[in-house]
Amino acid sequence: MEEVKVGVFLSDCGGQIAKILDFEALTKFVKDVSGVVLVARGSEFWRGQGLQAIVDAVKSKKINRVVVAETIPKISEVAIAKAVEEAGLNPHLMEVVDLKNHCAWPHIDTPEEATEKAKAMLLAAIEKAKLLEPIGKAEFPAVKAVLVIGGGAAGMQAAEDLAEMGFKVYLVEKEPFLGGLAAKAVRFFPTDDCAICIQSPASLTTVTQTSRKCVYRSGLSEIPNLNVLTNTKIVKVEGSPGNFKVTVERKPRYVDEKKCVACDLCTSVCPVEVPDEYNAKLSKRKAIYVNKLLVYPPAYVIDAKACKFHECAKCFQVCPTKAVNLDQKPEHVTLNVGGIIVATGFREYDPSVIKEYHYGEYPDVITHLELARMLDAFGPTSGVPVKPSDGKPAKRIVFVQCVGSRDRRWNPYCSSICCMISLKHATMIKEAFPDADVTICYIDIRTTGREHEYYYERAREMGVKFVKGRPSEIIHDPATNTLVVEVEDELLRRLLELEADLVVLATAMVPSEDAKELAQILDIELDQDGFFKEYNAKLRPTETKRRGIFICGGAVFPKDVPTASLHAHSAAVKAAKFLMNGKIVKDLKVAVVNQDYCGNCQFCPVTCPYGAIILEPKGDGHFTAKVSELLCEGCGVCVGTCPVGAIELSHLKSSQISAQIKALLSVNGTSKPLVLVFSCSECGHAAVDSSGMAMMSYPANVRVLRVPCTGVIQVQHILEAFKAGAQGVMVVGCKPDGCHYEVGSQKAKQRVEMAKMLLQAYGIEPERLEMLNLVFIEGDKFAEAAKTMSEKVEKLGPLQLS
Amino acid sequence: MTEEKPLDFAREITGRLGGETITRCYQCGTCASACPVTKTTERYNPRQVIRLALLGQRNDVLKGDAIWLCASCYNCQERCPQKVEVADVIYALRNMAIRGGNIPAIYTEFAAALMNEGRLAPMSKFLEKKRAEYGLPPLKPANTEALKKILAATGFDKIMFRKEGAT
Repeated sequence: MEEVKVGVFLSDCGGQIAKILDFEALTKFVKDVSGVVLVARGSEFWRGQGLQAIVDAVKSKKINRVVVAETIPKISEVAIAKAVEEAGLNPHLMEVVDLKNHCAWPHIDTPEEATEKAKAMLLAAIEKAKLLEPIGKAEFPAVKAVLVIGGGAAGMQAAEDLAEMGFKVYLVEKEPFLGGLAAKAVRFFPTDDCAICIQSPASLTTVTQTSRKCVYRSGLSEIPNLNVLTNTKIVKVEGSPGNFKVTVERKPRYVDEKKCVACDLCTSVCPVEVPDEYNAKLSKRKAIYVNKLLVYPPAYVIDAKACKFHECAKCFQVCPTKAVNLDQKPEHVTLNVGGIIVATGFREYDPSVIKEYHYGEYPDVITHLELARMLDAFGPTSGVPVKPSDGKPAKRIVFVQCVGSRDRRWNPYCSSICCMISLKHATMIKEAFPDADVTICYIDIRTTGREHEYYYERAREMGVKFVKGRPSEIIHDPATNTLVVEVEDELLRRLLELEADLVVLATAMVPSEDAKELAQILDIELDQDGFFKEYNAKLRPTETKRRGIFICGGAVFPKDVPTASLHAHSAAVKAAKFLMNGKIVKDLKVAVVNQDYCGNCQFCPVTCPYGAIILEPKGDGHFTAKVSELLCEGCGVCVGTCPVGAIELSHLKSSQISAQIKALLSVNGTSKPLVLVFSCSECGHAAVDSSGMAMMSYPANVRVLRVPCTGVIQVQHILEAFKAGAQGVMVVGCKPDGCHYEVGSQKAKQRVEMAKMLLQAYGIEPERLEMLNLVFIEGDKFAEAAKTMSEKVEKLGPLQLS
Repeated sequence: MTEEKPLDFAREITGRLGGETITRCYQCGTCASACPVTKTTERYNPRQVIRLALLGQRNDVLKGDAIWLCASCYNCQERCPQKVEVADVIYALRNMAIRGGNIPAIYTEFAAALMNEGRLAPMSKFLEKKRAEYGLPPLKPANTEALKKILAATGFDKIMFRKEGAT
């Protein structure tokens, strides 16, 4: 192995920190450390001349390990690593320490002690650097094809975006026609557009490039890379991010899409009539049907549950283009895609469980989707709201808000769009039938979107009545076939009995029926309400825990169409970013298993937050862990969990942790007992940073060792720190539910508790060990805790280790 | 309007058996419109009782007669979308009122009957006759001694016959 030659570059930040730290003493100290062949001092080393000095030293082969004392390592190390790599050295053979924010600023009042601490910090960096090994890169295939699951507003949008960006797209819809839930909604708020209106592709010559088009004339089906697979469901997903093999089942349509000319002869001869689900069963349709005119695909479909097939075969006989094929069988197709977008939407909650509203029992109690079908001029009642019980026009209509939502018995969340749906429908009715008596019973009216409040205003101007109160019962009077809604008008403190021809329930919006099954197939998470869970609600709202799988639209939470479009664009961009290079290149900063020690236990595969570890048979009946280099995020939660130390990180080996512990505790230089802080590289380290940046002082006997995630810390490491001379140990990680690696912070907490028990057994006061969960803005809390810990261990007296 | 911090009173209620769920209330009024008592009198409205309680109006709630008018039919509790145990909250409030010495005379009479005769409804010639007609055996006198011991051990007697303002 090549001899290790360390170059140390000390930045005094333009002379600022030289006023506190004695740089001459530091230079002298560093020069004497074995392995150090070069020490340089400058005002900055992450750009300009300073950086050039590092590059020159590397290029001339004078050094092969780089240690830099520079401020804000998170920024400076990016530039330094890049330069070092260009100079021909592996960029991971480098260590950056922050003498300003971790030493000079917080210890500004005790400059001599600070200098001694700086020595320890530099020694730790050098000792770690000496043990660093090159880390390579790996390339994984990224197939430039995307599967979009769900052909509603969001799915169509995402598919169109990606197809136009040049990706091959499979748009899979379980129903026989595109459009999803939104297509049934007649009109959208806030633009009052038709529900079947979508963004049209800009790339097609004959499609005028206005922003909106009906689905059927949008040209969606004509984008060269876009394959629409209706009547299709997902069966199995195999492979890895960037290279999934997805098996889909194409249910038979019994009508050849390519031959059907939608002449309607088949429906005219079909003898079977069934309730039309698309029209909320308000009308009937034939066994061979289309949802409505001008759908996509423009081809009929046979309802296999209703059709008599060869017993009848009238459609087959009459079809002029021989498009009907009654012997079609389901077909399995395998798609090779790099990414998957879930856009399965949401559905209306079935309110029949809410007994007091008698949905399903009284025919004139309906849901919004049913009303929407009535209000469609092409719908079953040609735009007139009627009483389903007798077909007579409904003159008195009562809307009930929050049915099954904001209700701890059924769905605790607010479905967020039902207020607007009610306002939209109420104004539509008032517009067409100004004499209609429309009342909305509400708990709170929520019109939070752009233009939404104007709907509320308009409804009041048009004479829609608003009653603040949630009805307790809907009663049916058989004598008059009238409904009576019992509600307290809270503002008048008066009980009302509202007579109604039609009661419309604004029901909760819930996840689609197959969300659970699909989540299992894709191995992604659902939230407590059953919607697909995003990786991070704030910053990664369309990504999931599994790379390469994205979510958007109503599958994530009920949304109006504008928001669903926005979400779909975001998912499309994320998928494109993931696949655009045709390959995934990553540094192999991953966990590595020592096959000699590993065996048979299930700890790391179960603990890994990314499912990156599997057990593989060794051949002799035993199993060992295998890490997927593609899936591993390099957090080290597996390292902390391994009972035999058989797994370690390529970028932070156990030997490097030990070397740093020893080095940080080798120089004290203060009269106080040493305290070692293990901090994660994320929020924990940011909190330590911010305390320094704000010059919040804490004693210089507190030393910080950075690890990727506190989840990496073993009980062994804590004991090692005490053995090496620490009188107190602190573990600083992210908030338990804000850990950047999901579970690391929680795992660290468990290990700290376990270590406390061990300490007690050894006769060491457990209060010498403490875990903190901090974020960047809590630098003051870190400084305070460091001070408290230092005082505490001073009071407890020196540690007695036998 | 506020006589104390509203939350102090609410916390006191949530700390009592039956009162735990009161802070979930979002004033939708389902309880009021389901309530058979509210239909007949303006003196009782469960939504309003909860509203006053959450606003810290201790005296209005505990010294008023509203809480004593609940018929305990549980219509409200069955329907409450926030799973506020409305009827149980009313019980909790009654218990708090009694401990503060605010107890309607009828309840003191019930308690006295229970202590002295072992039953809430006093026996009468009429009832004895009816029992015989239905083929039921005559009632034996209740063991009031044992009952008194139990009620004394639970502190029932002290709580029920406390006068307003006593501590």
